[in-house]
Amino acid sequence: MSSDIRAIVKDSLFTGLISLALFGPIVGLKTFSKGAGLFVTPHWTPVIFLVLACTIGRFLIGLNSLRKKEIGFVSKITSKVSYYLDNKGKHFAITGVLFAVVFPFLPFTDRYILDVSIMILTYIMLGWGLNIVVGLAGLLDLGYVAFYAVGAYSYALIATTFGWSFWVCLPLAGVFAAFFGILLGFPVLRLRGDYLAIVTLGFGEIIRIILINWYEVTNGPDGITGIPRPTFFGLPFKKIVEDGENSFHTFFNLEYSTMHRIIFLYYLILILALITNYFTLKIRKLPVGRAWEALREDEIACKSLGVNPTNTKLTAFAIGATFGGFAGAFFATRQAFVSPESFTFIESAIIVAIVVLGGMGSQTGVVLASIFLIGITEMFRDLEQYRMIAFGGAMVLIMVFKPKGILANRKPTITLREHNSK
Amino acid sequence: MSKTLLNVENLTMKFGGLTAIDDLSFSANNNEITSIIGPNGAGKTTVFNCLTGFYKPTEGQMFLNREDKTVNLNKFSDYKIAHKAKVARTFQNIRLFPVMSVLENLLVAQHNELMVASGYSIFGILNLKRYKDKEREAVEKAKYWLDIIGLTNRADDNAGDLPYGDQRKLEIVRAMCINPKLLCLDEPAAGLNPKESSELNKLLEFIKKDKKTGILLIEHDMSVVMGISDRVVVLNYGKKIFQGTPAETRKSKEVIEAYLGVDE
Repeated sequence: MSSDIRAIVKDSLFTGLISLALFGPIVGLKTFSKGAGLFVTPHWTPVIFLVLACTIGRFLIGLNSLRKKEIGFVSKITSKVSYYLDNKGKHFAITGVLFAVVFPFLPFTDRYILDVSIMILTYIMLGWGLNIVVGLAGLLDLGYVAFYAVGAYSYALIATTFGWSFWVCLPLAGVFAAFFGILLGFPVLRLRGDYLAIVTLGFGEIIRIILINWYEVTNGPDGITGIPRPTFFGLPFKKIVEDGENSFHTFFNLEYSTMHRIIFLYYLILILALITNYFTLKIRKLPVGRAWEALREDEIACKSLGVNPTNTKLTAFAIGATFGGFAGAFFATRQAFVSPESFTFIESAIIVAIVVLGGMGSQTGVVLASIFLIGITEMFRDLEQYRMIAFGGAMVLIMVFKPKGILANRKPTITLREHNSK
Repeated sequence: MSKTLLNVENLTMKFGGLTAIDDLSFSANNNEITSIIGPNGAGKTTVFNCLTGFYKPTEGQMFLNREDKTVNLNKFSDYKIAHKAKVARTFQNIRLFPVMSVLENLLVAQHNELMVASGYSIFGILNLKRYKDKEREAVEKAKYWLDIIGLTNRADDNAGDLPYGDQRKLEIVRAMCINPKLLCLDEPAAGLNPKESSELNKLLEFIKKDKKTGILLIEHDMSVVMGISDRVVVLNYGKKIFQGTPAETRKSKEVIEAYLGVDE
């Protein structure tokens, strides 16, 4: 122990010496010109502070590395949490869903919190959709936002042109997005890893640039305005009601409140997200889900077993894109306005970050990562440009303590134990 | 009793200027183990890659005589060989799905049947009984093979966590789960200890006799080759230099010179 301390002291003194050698001439000596000559004035006080800061800082880092051997409490806590989530996953999920259901009526929930929750839920849904492509099929897609955009624009264009209701447009948005998923899927079938990532990234940008330049259809950078708001099975959320028309509050004899619409949107995205989750959990246990995971593990082995890699990959792209399209349609109806601005690369990056940090393939992990990343960025909203630092910091923290993602344990899709007990 | 199962005629495979297989013709019989031996680089694995559709041969024909019909293997590429022609293979460096469980590995091998039963996922999503029954059947089949290689109690563990020898055996039974007519094994005994390799011999004998499957074997371990092969094909520089029974092979002067070496 004492020899450790001695080593640390020695190390920090040495650091002090180096910093003195560096800061001495750089900070300590300042030149100024006076008349014809160049003179040097010494500034020793800041040098002393800097050198002390380096020495003490180094000493503290050394001490901390000593303590780490004994404590490492952060990793202990996280491993406990993930153990709990793995074994009591079902209880956790049910509690989570119940909490989400009563959430809008809790006393501390105001409009702002609900808005943030809707945003988090949108990202959870996108994360779950992308989880099929990245987490299960192992196809790194950096252009997922393209499907989100296709969904949003399909809804916006169909709803503004034909005036069809949200519930008709929603499946159509999914179909269009799936079509684009297959369109992207075909050229990238042979690609893996880095190459696939670059092409998908390009695809995301292509869609955005088309949206900007195809002025006749997409209205270019001005975007599409006046997208119909969602209705509660035909009942609009309008304040002023004309004769012979019903609105949500008049039909249910309620005082008019803007919160009605927000709460409705909240439940809408909650249901859409839960459908995504149910579907993913279900399909993972089907042959196609197992084939996705097998393909992620070893494509050559898959071929040798007669698994068709083309179809398997295309279904992954198509299904992942469909959910992206649904989320896009929801986004369009919530905002009542879409423009290419909303579908930049950073959105794709955030969704991929959510999936990777959550632990590839883990559904609960996506939820935790979305709350963590979007929540933290939202909390630091007042600090404006420092938000991205908080976002980056959150990513670094997860990568330091949980390099494989928050929840990285994979559970088999079927077990012999269950089979035998039936 | 044994009929010709596989007919390879004038197979040639060129990679640019390099001729890996040069005008190779040989045949393998039903219910027999045919070994392909030869020095490193003789083109053994290339023959396998041609047979299993990973390479398209430059010239030559490959026919598989099944009970129902004769299949021209040249017509099928990669995954269709296993799916349609029923030729299965294992790999020199084991290719399991390491983070999937042992049972899941065996279910992926039954992918095509299960896919049809799940109505291309539609019935499966709807939780129909028809799919559930088929899945149960598939698990029973997996269990049957796990019982044979003695891995039933590890069915729910990750395949990557198994000891090396068990991974080899698992890869073989995974290939058997597609009900192949011809099973191509690429150095299954590499890295096995004597006990494991005698277990492997038993497994291969069982497959040959009970499953009526022809086996094509690439192997360097002469105790395996001489112990269980019915016929041996010897390759050197992409050419066949000998074909015969193990006993004949051991005596052949050419084979001794090229590969087996002389006892001092």
